[in-house]
Amino acid sequence: MPVDKIENSGSIIGRKSGVAPGEQAEKGLLTLPGESDIDSVGSGSYLATKVDAMVNWARGNSLWPLPFGTACCAIEFMSMVSSHYDIARFGAEVVRFSPRQADLLIVAGTIVDKIAPVLKKIYDQMPEPKYVVAMGACATSGGFYRVYHVVQGIDEIIPVDIWVPGCPPTPEGLMYGILKLKEKIERGEIKR
Amino acid sequence: MGIIKVQPKPLSVSERLYIPNVLKGMVVTFGHLVRNLFNIKKLPLISYPEVKRIYSERFRGRHILTTRDDGTTRCVACFMCSTACPAECITIKAGEDERTREKFPVRYEIDLLRCIFCGYCVDACPEDAIYMTRDYEMAIDTRARSVVGLRDLVVPPNFPVGPMGWRPYYGQIEKHGTAGGTGVGQALRQAPFPDEAPPNPDVFRG
Amino acid sequence: MSTLTKFSAIPYTGPAPTNRSPYLPAGVEQIDARALEIGAKIASPDLEHEAGQDMPTFVVERGKIVDALRALRDHQDLQFTLPLDLWGVDYPRRRDVGRFDVMYQLYSLKNNERVRLKVHVREDESVPTSVGVFRGYNWFEREVWDMFGIRFEGHPNLRRILCHEAFQGHALRKDYDPAQRWLLTEKDIAKIIPTIVLPREESDFEQVTLNLGPSHPATHGTLRIVVTLDGETIIGAESEIGYLHRCFEKMSETHTYQQVIPFTDRLNYCSAIINNVGYCMAVEKLLAIEAPPRAQHIRLMLSEFMRIADHIVCIGANLVDMGALTNFWYLFQPREEILGLVESCCGARLLPSYTRIGGLAVDAPSDFLSNAQRLVDKLPKYIDDVDKLVTRNRIFLDRVVGVAPITAADAINFGFTGPCLRACGVPYDVRKAQPYGGYETYDFDVPIAEAGDTNARYLVRMEEMRQSIRIIQQGIDRGLPAGPVIVNDPYVALPPKAKVYNEMESLIYHFKLIMHGIQPPVGEVYFRVEGANGELGFYVVSDGTKNPYRVRVRPPCFPIFEAYSHMIIGQTIPDAIAALGSLNIIAGELDH
Repeated sequence: MPVDKIENSGSIIGRKSGVAPGEQAEKGLLTLPGESDIDSVGSGSYLATKVDAMVNWARGNSLWPLPFGTACCAIEFMSMVSSHYDIARFGAEVVRFSPRQADLLIVAGTIVDKIAPVLKKIYDQMPEPKYVVAMGACATSGGFYRVYHVVQGIDEIIPVDIWVPGCPPTPEGLMYGILKLKEKIERGEIKR
Repeated sequence: MGIIKVQPKPLSVSERLYIPNVLKGMVVTFGHLVRNLFNIKKLPLISYPEVKRIYSERFRGRHILTTRDDGTTRCVACFMCSTACPAECITIKAGEDERTREKFPVRYEIDLLRCIFCGYCVDACPEDAIYMTRDYEMAIDTRARSVVGLRDLVVPPNFPVGPMGWRPYYGQIEKHGTAGGTGVGQALRQAPFPDEAPPNPDVFRG
Repeated sequence: MSTLTKFSAIPYTGPAPTNRSPYLPAGVEQIDARALEIGAKIASPDLEHEAGQDMPTFVVERGKIVDALRALRDHQDLQFTLPLDLWGVDYPRRRDVGRFDVMYQLYSLKNNERVRLKVHVREDESVPTSVGVFRGYNWFEREVWDMFGIRFEGHPNLRRILCHEAFQGHALRKDYDPAQRWLLTEKDIAKIIPTIVLPREESDFEQVTLNLGPSHPATHGTLRIVVTLDGETIIGAESEIGYLHRCFEKMSETHTYQQVIPFTDRLNYCSAIINNVGYCMAVEKLLAIEAPPRAQHIRLMLSEFMRIADHIVCIGANLVDMGALTNFWYLFQPREEILGLVESCCGARLLPSYTRIGGLAVDAPSDFLSNAQRLVDKLPKYIDDVDKLVTRNRIFLDRVVGVAPITAADAINFGFTGPCLRACGVPYDVRKAQPYGGYETYDFDVPIAEAGDTNARYLVRMEEMRQSIRIIQQGIDRGLPAGPVIVNDPYVALPPKAKVYNEMESLIYHFKLIMHGIQPPVGEVYFRVEGANGELGFYVVSDGTKNPYRVRVRPPCFPIFEAYSHMIIGQTIPDAIAALGSLNIIAGELDH
């Protein structure tokens, strides 16, 4: 696999030029099930499609995240908005802590029974259209906390659009999730 | 035993005037700005996805199941990985090959959402069957996809070593085993963690 | 709700333990001799010495525990003034002396020694509260009530602390099904309103009660603080925790010793390796083994790197709360590089699970020292930048000097440790007081400040980062000792793969260790390390099976956050936010 290493003497972290996320060359021979069969945008009347596409494009490019950070994943979220990773390139750097101003809820960290109603309330307070990214093992499924005080996946409480595995996911992993959500919105798959 | 006292010193007159200190702060921030402008290449930024970070050869990403030369799964369904897994995310159903009387997994499923990527399954495997790759782009948009089975885990014998991550630890290598023949296993066994001493090829063949 | 899992809910039913030999700590004669001396000094009440423990241990009658604690605290020669921990252990099959043990651990700053007190309690009995002696025991007693259902007679506010109000039963009892969940409904939430005791003072202003959290940008993690304001001044406050109670202690009982390591990562996730090291060293103490020098060296260096990373998160986030966003970016730059170094060692950035019982999972890469050197060369520059921007900046100083101070006496009474205690002028650092893992051979200073306010905590943390860099530099200069990174003991450490494939014996050991786990001798042990927030202790009870019988973590944040609601009285809300950031409360550790 050819790797074009990018020199950066200021950092001990190696870099290489990448390809679009999920592309075969990057992953070796790995695909996720159903990864190749992505439906194209459905047909419709010309004007309506164009307007819809326009609106979806705008929505996908201005995701304002509300990090509902409870645990370790919140620290990785902090990494994602700090110096090494730049979520601003996708129009999602405006971190809002008020649900009224956010349209992307990133649930980062374990949701326990005690905080579950809070999460539900915050989700209810968000204006439409709203999207949810469940970040990390605990938020997506409870992770290895199969135990008396942990919610076994936030889809018990609220609908989820993107699941990001990892414990915690790397910042790129989360960014990949957000990019995937962006694609999904732009394709018009999520209609609220 | 050394103890040092960190005590705030009283502010000088210029420091109490706000403005000089604000300017001093400006010098620092603008210094960073100018330095970065002339040193774009040294920026810490990784513009994912155009530029990607090279994770180490130990990165714990998605799992794969390796195969023998003849294309059969190396896994013998011994349940060691599912026992060692703290998240209990591996489900195995064992079967027996009619012809060779070898055990093999009829079903082998990893729940990627449950998995915490600790690498214990790789450490536990006595057959070099499960490895981890450097793939971290795992986000999915339907819950149903979270459980990956044999179809998605098993890789062909010619799987490249490039994207490989966490792998069995060989310790201080004296000689290398012959268990398992060639294929990914062999390719990888010739490249254990790259910083370890490379195995002696003669011993390997013998 | 129903049971969730196929394995977790089932208590250990594997093969009978093969290892029933009792644990004997090293130097047990000296410990017992010292215990007798302490017992002789306390005239009343009668302390019954329990021999063979890893620290002087006494069994105290239930009714006399308060007197015993007071006597130990006030005795001129002993001065056990620092209440470290209070926890419970459940032995449901024990018939003679009662089902529960309530354990107290005290530390004497004067003599640098510890003492443990045990109270046997039957299921229907209660224990008198010791809040009058040590204020810090308030929350600890609530936790024991929550987890074991042991009543504390006379406790001012005995209600659940970690679990929610709709929870039924007591989770850490051995007969509680680990997967039994109870749903919290909106109706039950109304029950969790904290009670605030207000001073009865006449005021011109209307009193307003304000709720901060649990989802609030300034409460990093999930904390909830309810404050009552008189005008702008806080006159009463209470904190509510448990919003991240992930049941670490119960999970430890359902997993093997090796499998607990990833759980320890997630206690203090900002400095995960220190947790790993603390837990592994506790079990190693139980097994009477010691990690090889190379492993210890790498552990120590990475611990110090993690300490720096933790302080970076603390200071960076604290400054963001005060509006200084630039520092966050300057500081996170080297932090990312530190995590890059950790990743190059073990493949995960934040939660490495790098250590194993008896050593390390893998050897460090060959460029470990050179990369560490590059980092050490770079780090001071970033710290200096923040120093220049902030330390002498009057805007910053106006917000932190004299904010939320705590006196040394109060801090000790609450059970503070770590940077927050050192900011009050008490130079207690586990790395100096009771060195472990080779810290005794390193040359470093313990920074202290006197004011005990937010500024002092900031200064102490800044200086601690510099001292950590000093330690790492010494570590690099010494070089990594040669040799293996994990003990050569097939009952503890997995044999290297090369052997597993070639030798029948190693394969059997490998199989035995995965299937039956490590089976330490029967006994109890306490081990402490200096975490980024203070003394991080692990108390492990083994019954000889592959699962720990009980793991208790002593979270340093717990008493610190307990004191927080007392510290902010008389302050304003923005000051309270600044103070909260400087305490570095990590929810994962606080709620275990």
